[in-house]
Amino acid sequence: MVTLTKRYSVLPGFSLALGLTLLYLSLIVLIPLSTVFLKTATMSWGDFWSTISNARVVASYRLTFGASLLAAIINLVFGLLVAWVLVRYSFWGKRILDALVDLPFALPTAVAGIALTAIYSSHGWVGRYLEPLGFKVAFTPWGIVVALTFIGLPFVVRTVQPILQEAEIEVEEAAVSLGANRWQTFTLVILPNLWPALLTGFALAFARGLGEYGSVVFIAGNMPMVSEITPLLIITKLEQYDYQGATAIAVVMLVVSFTLLFLINSLQWWSSRRHH
Amino acid sequence: MSIEIQHLNKTFNQFAVLKDINLQVPKGELVALLGPSGCGKTTLLRIIAGLEVPDSGLILFHGEDTTSRHVRDRQVGFVFQHYALFRHLTVFENVAFGLRVRPRKLRPSNAEIRAKVHDLLYLVQMRELAERYPNQLSGGQRQRVALIRALAVEPKVLLLDEPFGALDTNVRKELRRWLRHLHDTMHVTSVFVTHDQEEAMEVADRVVVMNEGHIEQIGTPEELYENAANPFVYRFLGSVNLFHGRVQTGHIRLGDLDVKFHEHAEVHQAPIVAYVRPHELEISREADQNTMAATVSNIYMLGSTVRLELVQVSNSEIIEVELTKEQYRLLKLHKGEQVFVKPRKMRLFMENNRAN
Ligand SMILES: Nc1ncnc2c1ncn2[C@@H]1O[C@H](COP(=O)(O)OP(=O)(O)OP(=O)(O)O)[C@@H](O)[C@H]1O
Ligand SMILES: [Mg+2]
Repeated sequence: MVTLTKRYSVLPGFSLALGLTLLYLSLIVLIPLSTVFLKTATMSWGDFWSTISNARVVASYRLTFGASLLAAIINLVFGLLVAWVLVRYSFWGKRILDALVDLPFALPTAVAGIALTAIYSSHGWVGRYLEPLGFKVAFTPWGIVVALTFIGLPFVVRTVQPILQEAEIEVEEAAVSLGANRWQTFTLVILPNLWPALLTGFALAFARGLGEYGSVVFIAGNMPMVSEITPLLIITKLEQYDYQGATAIAVVMLVVSFTLLFLINSLQWWSSRRHH
Repeated sequence: MSIEIQHLNKTFNQFAVLKDINLQVPKGELVALLGPSGCGKTTLLRIIAGLEVPDSGLILFHGEDTTSRHVRDRQVGFVFQHYALFRHLTVFENVAFGLRVRPRKLRPSNAEIRAKVHDLLYLVQMRELAERYPNQLSGGQRQRVALIRALAVEPKVLLLDEPFGALDTNVRKELRRWLRHLHDTMHVTSVFVTHDQEEAMEVADRVVVMNEGHIEQIGTPEELYENAANPFVYRFLGSVNLFHGRVQTGHIRLGDLDVKFHEHAEVHQAPIVAYVRPHELEISREADQNTMAATVSNIYMLGSTVRLELVQVSNSEIIEVELTKEQYRLLKLHKGEQVFVKPRKMRLFMENNRAN
């Protein structure tokens, strides 16, 4: 037996709200994306398969997903750190630092790419010191990770910040008065409340990394099989008027991205639903 | 464990929140910190717990200097005003928390933890709610969880910050009695903060009345009520009527009232304020030189007692009188009637002088 309990709701009409939501999402997301599938469907199965399983393309998937994942993980850790510092400490210049976090959003990605390339190339401010250590960043996959980390920085910071701001310090004090040490307080009390927000930030940063093109092409060097990202391959195909090939690869990107994001969101939904 | 506080001072941004606090809490006693909002009760409690650092002064636990010891090592149980439960843990895990975070050598086994937590849950009649999350509990239940969570680690000192502040009157009264009972069975030295004088008087062995960062008076509830050291304490411990007048070599003159008074007999001539509790006033229909005339302006029936509001004829000031139902019935009072009021007892304080 399913019983529906009627709940008081602020917005009138569940069906109306849902209808509008679906319409909006269809217009903005689903219909444009469906053309990708339609275009791909004009290919034969064999053509499709050979396009998407081409060695160079497969290498690009690995690079794109790998670099995005790594960058998102870096942002997960340091984003939390930045958010923590911004919320918990007061110091001179805090406002400026806070504003700085959003800069990767505002900057045209190409500008970011050029700037990062300049800094990390063998004569750049940072690259100059890294190169003698045998660590090449610009024009290697590491450069891609650096660019994606830069691009994805705001997501984790901005999703975690409000949750930290709302967190009661008293709960941490309670833990300490019960005998918990710093590590226990962090892992047993603080982190569990941040998980949903951290996962959301992680998913956003990851998704952003997958689609990023502008900043990456400058710093990556774009060597086939080594530092060529999937979005670049798609653009290349488009420039060669191979629309079908471009959309075929796009379909793979879409399906995999959607699956991953769906999984992360489910995890996030599950972890936030468990106790609240 | 006894607590001793010596010459404690604390400022927040140059604002003195606690000024030269000296306090002793003997082992096993239940002491209330009572005072108006913002007087520094929470701050004092947090300093005792080690959650806040004093600017100067000493805190001794069992005669031992604890001032610089970390909260974790003080063995205090702290119950926060807003419960501060772990939202992501069940009631059971909340209570077990303090045992689970112990170093491996000192940590009880899972079975021992389970037994202990269940005992505590039983104590507060919440056994069936062990698997609930805090947001599925009522305020009173949350408060009880917060209490047993603190008790689970067997603290040497229990500190409670307005433990019943956010609850409705009935639940509050019940929990109050329960706390007293708990204390009588466990004998853990406890300090609890409240701004409700009734709560302090009912529960505590001794009450510390605070005001603007200093201690006004310390005493048993009875001592405080019967023998308030100064007007602030007098006023804070219940409603009171003030009569302004003069003391004149052995006589007190308050409006049309003139009484012989041996206290302050040496004072030749000075302004004075008499403090009289509403139940210390008598009402009669005949005047004498110890009465003042007043008109009944309002009658409130408050369950077992009756509160009258009278207006003094000489100066139109309002007097509050409390009568038992019995006295009220005998007098057959009604609104607008003129009567004579006579203090059975009063406390005199010199005007503009805190202590008498
Ligand atoms: N962290 C802080 N920073 C600055 N001022 C503070 C801080 N904590 C408390 N104060 C100030 O210290 C004074 C005493 O605060 P405290 O919380 O001890 O009062 P209280 O007696 O517990 O009041 P209430 O009954 O309202 O809880 C208040 O004036 C408050 O504004
Ligand atoms: Mg307080």
